[in-house]
Amino acid sequence: MDSGVSQRLRVFGLAAAHLKHEWVLTLCLVSALAAVLAPLLILMGLKEGTIETLRDRLVQDPVYREIRPAITRTFDKEWMEQLQSDERVAFLTTTILPASSMIHLVANGTDAELIDLVPTADDDPLLLENDGAIPQEGECVLSNEAARRLGVKVNESIVARVTRSRGGRYETVEQDLRVKAVLSSRAGSLARVYTPLEFVVDVESYKEGRGVAARGWAGQSSQPYMSFDGVLVLSQSMLDPVLRTGLVVNTGLLKADPMDSEAFASLTGLSLPDGWYPYNLSIPAGSVNYSSIEALKRKLRGREALLIPYVNDLILQLPEKELAIVGLSINTDWAEKLAWPALPWGQLSATALESTRLMQILLPGDDVSVGTSLMATFYGASPVTFPLKVVGAPSQVKRALVPIELIGMLRTARDRAVVYQAETDDLVLQRAGFRGFRLYARNIDDVPSLVAQLRGQGLEVVAAVDAIERIQVLDRGLTQLFWLIAVLGVVGASAVLIASLYAAVERERKDLGVLRLIGLARKDVFLFPVFQGALIAMLGVALAWGGYSLLSEVINRVFGNELSDGQAICRLPAGYPWLAMLATLTLAIMSSLIAAWKATLIEPAEAIREE
Amino acid sequence: MPLLLLQQVVKSRSHAGSSFQLVVPELSVSPGEFVAVVGESGCGKSTLLDLLALISKPDAADCYRLVFADSEQHDVADLWSRNDEYALASIRRQHLGYVLQTGGLLPYLNVRDNLLLPMRINRLPGGSKRVKEMAERMGVADCLNRLPESLSGGQRQRVAILRALSHSPRLVLADEPTAAVDKRRARLIVQDLRSLARDEGLSIIMVTHDLDLVHEVADRTYGFEVSQVSENETLSICSQEVL
Repeated sequence: MDSGVSQRLRVFGLAAAHLKHEWVLTLCLVSALAAVLAPLLILMGLKEGTIETLRDRLVQDPVYREIRPAITRTFDKEWMEQLQSDERVAFLTTTILPASSMIHLVANGTDAELIDLVPTADDDPLLLENDGAIPQEGECVLSNEAARRLGVKVNESIVARVTRSRGGRYETVEQDLRVKAVLSSRAGSLARVYTPLEFVVDVESYKEGRGVAARGWAGQSSQPYMSFDGVLVLSQSMLDPVLRTGLVVNTGLLKADPMDSEAFASLTGLSLPDGWYPYNLSIPAGSVNYSSIEALKRKLRGREALLIPYVNDLILQLPEKELAIVGLSINTDWAEKLAWPALPWGQLSATALESTRLMQILLPGDDVSVGTSLMATFYGASPVTFPLKVVGAPSQVKRALVPIELIGMLRTARDRAVVYQAETDDLVLQRAGFRGFRLYARNIDDVPSLVAQLRGQGLEVVAAVDAIERIQVLDRGLTQLFWLIAVLGVVGASAVLIASLYAAVERERKDLGVLRLIGLARKDVFLFPVFQGALIAMLGVALAWGGYSLLSEVINRVFGNELSDGQAICRLPAGYPWLAMLATLTLAIMSSLIAAWKATLIEPAEAIREE
Repeated sequence: MPLLLLQQVVKSRSHAGSSFQLVVPELSVSPGEFVAVVGESGCGKSTLLDLLALISKPDAADCYRLVFADSEQHDVADLWSRNDEYALASIRRQHLGYVLQTGGLLPYLNVRDNLLLPMRINRLPGGSKRVKEMAERMGVADCLNRLPESLSGGQRQRVAILRALSHSPRLVLADEPTAAVDKRRARLIVQDLRSLARDEGLSIIMVTHDLDLVHEVADRTYGFEVSQVSENETLSICSQEVL
């Protein structure tokens, strides 16, 4: 075994000596190989450098990684958290209703600009990757267009002015914001101001009429607002179609249908005395709010008519059983007129909403212990448990009866989380979840699958899937192009090596014959062209790498002016010289096999014959 | 016991419809002998040389034996019948030396490396010292670092002889080693070969067309008797000439 190795080393020495002796030919061959390899390395360098840099810029532009819902919908916290924990998601922030997100910004006493308010949070790539920084409380980041319109620069202060209309009056609060950064125009062409989510949420609350104690912004408490499925109109005279149509105009209601007393009874649990005509006013698949009822009330002024808002199928869970409840708030005059039980809470009111009035219930049946409290749970958007005081059990009552205002609030609790605060003995409306989100995938390649997943959940989203696919197609195309050129280069290099090594064997038939004559075996002679191919490959790669290094340096100096640190137009990763060496060696050895096979056919007799 | 013994060895070759057959009834070389093989061109010299150089397979052989020592005997006819190329190459490498017409030196190695090559291939130690001594003796010591192409014909041939001897073979085959030099130099070369062989105790077979050159130094001489058997058949019988 050892002798074989040393014999091979001997052959290697001879092959090297031969190349050295014919150094001009060797130089030509090495140059030819380098001439094929160097442009290939430059091309690879350009692909790795320029194209990758450009691709990174384009591909990693947050705009292409953004996903947002196409529709406004309420997203609950758990769903958001689950989405945020998906490993494909780099960043997720909730957003608010578009209508609530427009605020006035004032800089240096100039006119106010109406600008879109967008929440942000730590790690927001849209900000961080566009020369921005994450704003903290009291700070904001402006988009390029917003900064232009306002004429402000970084570190200057602006005033955010939030306006709402409440009870027919305009109210305004202001907050100073320091401009922490101005984004590059790549982040988008719209005028936008980015602030922490907390500020955005406070702005939304204020706009919706609620107060924000922490900022000293006044407003109403956060009791749930009332909503209903419809409203019944009881009239002692028939309402003709024209009048009925008049009732729905400008009230927000859509339909006004007559109904019979049976339908009335099944809806309210109360029997209707003769001589009263019920009508059902509603918004199909929509909710009726209190302002519609007030508008309706104004239209019916002067007419002997009673408004009874209703909500279908409200069930409370008591410790032992379920309890279907209906709501009714009328004064004693009406109760007498209709022979209905007198209600301790009186008539419908939008202002008398203290819990001592609302949390009352009349129960049907005989074994009712008046004066006790029931703990009732309502399963809406989230379960809410609150006490109800049993205030009576009148005989007319077939179903449990509570103030309609409570029913209206519970209906709201179907869609929005409501909690019962024992300290204030009040029902409190939780934040309405969030109405949208802004999501950035970790990588553009993750966007299509995320979009597919969200669409699979029935959520239509907006994402630059088409653009991503275009980029991916471009990327694939470029890669294919480079491989095509690489294949051409490989074919060229192989041709050069095969031809040269073959010609070399032909040239040295006699010398190889002498080697066979003095005792080298066929397998030793076989190695002669193989070693020569390998040597030429190594020299060729070394020369090509030298040429590449020189040329890439020139390219980077001449064309690389506008690149940032760490970027280069032409650059190959660190392992590439070895990869190129390995690939070329393999190629050279493959190419030498024909010549090697030819060498084994040389007979020692050829050395003796003098042709 | 002779170093080399051939009995009834036959080799035929045909070319362009005509065939040539060489028959060697008996050829033997003893250790230390200088044997000349003399003949005009076309008589079968080359065919015989290929047989002796172990690079051509005999068609038939009653006996073809190489005896280097009691313990090292080779039945060449048997090795050929088994086509044991490796064993044949190994004998060539260790025990045979070749002096070719124009030297057969490798043009890309200098004289020293050419001389060292057979020793290195055989992994023999002390090459450099031996090369130097031999080169001094043959008067080519100042050529050691030169390439063969820069040598004169006579120098080249002497280097070739040295290379054939450098690994101490038992049998040296010289194929017209003086073809490229003038008569005076040729005689000197033959003298050198003769004395080296004697000193080293090896046998030499020199093939030449020039009987004058060898008849004084050769221990024995073989010649060829060529006869035209038919229009396309030539027969050559190689046998010892009695001078």
